[in-house]
Amino acid sequence: MVDALLSLEKVSKSYWRGPSEVRVLVDACLDVGAGEFIGVWGRRGAGKTTLLRIAAGLETPDRGAVRFAGDDLTTLSERGHARLRRGEIGWIRRSGPRSDLTMLDYVALPLLIEHGRRQANRLADGALRRVGMGQCAGQRWESLSDGERALVAIAHGIARSPRLLLIDDPTANLGVREREEILQLLRALVEETDVAVLMTVPDMPAAMGSHQLRALSGGRLITPPVGSDGDTPPVDDEAEDNVIEFPGYKRSA
Amino acid sequence: MSAKHAVLGLVIERPGYGYQLAQRLDERFGSSGFAPSGVYSALDQLSRDELVRSAGELGAGPARRAAPRTIYEATEEGVEHFESWMLDPSPAPPLRDELHMKIALCRPRNVPRLIEVVTGQEVVCLGRLQDLKRLGEETASARDWSSLMGTLAAEAEVAFWNARIEWLQNARELLEQLREEHEASRAAGASADAVGAGVCRLRGV
Repeated sequence: MVDALLSLEKVSKSYWRGPSEVRVLVDACLDVGAGEFIGVWGRRGAGKTTLLRIAAGLETPDRGAVRFAGDDLTTLSERGHARLRRGEIGWIRRSGPRSDLTMLDYVALPLLIEHGRRQANRLADGALRRVGMGQCAGQRWESLSDGERALVAIAHGIARSPRLLLIDDPTANLGVREREEILQLLRALVEETDVAVLMTVPDMPAAMGSHQLRALSGGRLITPPVGSDGDTPPVDDEAEDNVIEFPGYKRSA
Repeated sequence: MSAKHAVLGLVIERPGYGYQLAQRLDERFGSSGFAPSGVYSALDQLSRDELVRSAGELGAGPARRAAPRTIYEATEEGVEHFESWMLDPSPAPPLRDELHMKIALCRPRNVPRLIEVVTGQEVVCLGRLQDLKRLGEETASARDWSSLMGTLAAEAEVAFWNARIEWLQNARELLEQLREEHEASRAAGASADAVGAGVCRLRGV
């Protein structure tokens, strides 16, 4: 078991929609360690984005603790939050820049304060190349396809070499091949850089691209049993009759 | 269906003895829930029908193993029988699901326990998907015929567990709502009819 970089302990969060309470998270527990890639699958409105916002420290849970590298995000100072946002936690979203920036400028923008123009451009160029988008450095967001936008968004997220990547639906609107490319890229990044990844997706095929699965619905974050083989009841009555001893036989884990 | 045709198919792919075939059956069709003993019953029946025969014996290995292991191979009739099974139409399987029946027949007082049962199944289904994912990763680079067809069969399983989880999520969310309504109505001294009607809604989910 890897030490958790991000840890949600019995986190609960509700909203009031008119007179009714919507429970987005109920006692949710989640650990994400360095080099782990966790995919959370949930339908629209299941609370996936809230989960990510809480993990990023952008939203405070009603109950429970959220820790990043041992720091409790719910009690962290404004300065501490700023430090995390500046570099340690990367958030990959699919909305691009509103302004008329080139993709190199867009990826370099958050790096400017810390690194200066020359170094920021160098890092941004490296990130764009890493996701296979080096040739699009001079292009504008509007001219890119959905697949290219997804790749630039990843470059934007990884340019600062964060320790934790939070990704909200990276494969939306993509075809099967593009989706597989994105997931393959994320898996490769996890292996290369040991970054921890928490990804939310609305469909199971995309969730299957992660290393570990979770499902979120009705406020519950479901975790499969460790080394699960599933304990489904046998469907074959005939085979169940006349059971004989079979020493040494174990269902594969 | 019994394990008969699956075992025959495996023997045609590669001869083997009972324990090996049980392992291969579990690797390929783990979700089918065939008991290991089913392999031995299948081999007995296939032998009686002369669809498989002994291709020799493997010596008694470990000291505690009393009998030598019989290696089975398919007969010509076996291959023909398998080919004709392959060409037969496959009927849609009956959906005999205990949880469907429990939900259809439950009373309002059963709802809290049913929510636990449904959640338990969600965990199990997600576990099956996690297992399939692991198997998929192991065979991802393999490009031989058997791996390719195995991947196709695994996709059917992914689709099944996916749909199952979605249904379980719907069921749990509705049952939780009903539980709350039931508790609220009990607190207000109202009858449980409203909840009973709600459970009926589930049958159509």
